[in-house]
Amino acid sequence: MTFHSEIILVAEDQVLVRMAAVDMLADHGFEVWEAGGADEVLAVLQQRGAEIGVLFTDIQMPGSIDGLQLAHRVRRSWPRIGLLITSGKTLPRSAELPGGSRFLSKAYDLNQMMTQVRELMPAA
Amino acid sequence: MRSNRGACVLMLRLRLAFREPPLFQEGQAMAAHTQPQTDIGLSLVLAVIASSGAPLLLLDGELLVIAASASFCRTFRIDPATVAGRRLFELGAGEWNVPQLHSLLAATAAGHAEIEAYEMDLRRAGQEPRRLVLNAQKLAYDNEDNIRLLLTVADVTDARNAESLRLEMVREKDDLLRDKAVLLQELQHRIANSLQIIASVLLQSARRVQSDETRSHLHEAHQRVMSVAALQRQLSASSLDDVRLRPYFVELCQSIGASMIRDHDKLKLEAFGDDSTARADVSVSLGLIVTELVINALKHAFPDDRGGKINVGYLSHGANWTLSVDDNGIGMPETTDQAKSGLGTSIIKALAGQLHARIEIRDTNPGTSISIIHTETGILAVKSAAAPAVAAI
Repeated sequence: MTFHSEIILVAEDQVLVRMAAVDMLADHGFEVWEAGGADEVLAVLQQRGAEIGVLFTDIQMPGSIDGLQLAHRVRRSWPRIGLLITSGKTLPRSAELPGGSRFLSKAYDLNQMMTQVRELMPAA
Repeated sequence: MRSNRGACVLMLRLRLAFREPPLFQEGQAMAAHTQPQTDIGLSLVLAVIASSGAPLLLLDGELLVIAASASFCRTFRIDPATVAGRRLFELGAGEWNVPQLHSLLAATAAGHAEIEAYEMDLRRAGQEPRRLVLNAQKLAYDNEDNIRLLLTVADVTDARNAESLRLEMVREKDDLLRDKAVLLQELQHRIANSLQIIASVLLQSARRVQSDETRSHLHEAHQRVMSVAALQRQLSASSLDDVRLRPYFVELCQSIGASMIRDHDKLKLEAFGDDSTARADVSVSLGLIVTELVINALKHAFPDDRGGKINVGYLSHGANWTLSVDDNGIGMPETTDQAKSGLGTSIIKALAGQLHARIEIRDTNPGTSISIIHTETGILAVKSAAAPAVAAI
């Protein structure tokens, strides 16, 4: 098993979906932190933003902003962090996604999610 | 004297002459007409007003009614006998006594204004108000002392009601369409989330169990859910009810490959096809058949990490179509043991039956080709010459 120095932050309010993603990433050697909404993510990033390699976030989540707005804010303030965005709703137009981010439609395959996260991980 | 047309026309002694304004200067017309001509002109004017299909009133400078058309009396339920020589504001039960109309008509009579499309509600006891549009003009006329006003009154209540009803219906339809789109998106969102939960739980179970056989079953179950999820993604990405099959199968193969093929350099899984589309219910069956056939090929055709390829193809011609899954693996076992046929086989048979399609299995040496064939005329005999080794699942 390989170990990665950078942390994956998974933001998903649906706990079973989040658990599956977190387990999958952890089993592949990643350190994974969890959040149930955008506000939690921002709080984590304010403290430890430099340690996060990839943010994997759902769009529809409770909180002051949704996952898409969160992704834009992360792109502006922490441009190094890789962004993987998911939603059960229609694919946003590419113009609505932050530059360099990727979109994964729900219901996504956890193996495909793994592949995307690996590719989005910033070069060491 | 009443009009012999039965209209409520009051004839007063008028020294009225009609002229065409552009042709004569003020004052010349009188000289050009004799008394008998004036009477003829008056009779003509009154007859025109009487027979007019539109509610019309001819008023004098004091706003006394000189003539009213039959349609005015009928529309506003005024007894023709009561019209003669009365002031407009005394007509009926006083419902025409509207101060603003009074001032407008007075201003028109004085030549200060002209009433164009003035709107008012006519309110009568025990009746719904009627919306009226009024036009009044001072007639160009030779005698400054005898002022004449022509007042036309259009009742637009019904037309306005019909128009507002139509607009309301258009608005309601737009609202319903918008609600439907929002509901549909919400529904798709929920389906996607539900499928995500089911798939995630199945995959987590697969990763935690000890038994290889159970793990394999759970992986297959996960893959079946993912094949439905792939269809759901196709449906939510397009506004159509039909599914474009090639992109669907391509995505499906990527999904199956991602979870079930370890070495993508050795084993290739690809989808080909024409630009066919199919209804969502047909597409989900086709997708599940592809899933089962590909899982079957992955399980049995390439033992001991053997390399090779699996091709998924779909071609249609009119209502006829063929779905095929070909591999270049080790081929079929010599005998088919029906008793051992698994869930996958049952699923394929059931879905092919539902689609009125037959199943053909060919030993292509190397490998196996399985086709699901639908022909419009039903299940026909296979041309034996073209299919030397056909077996049925």
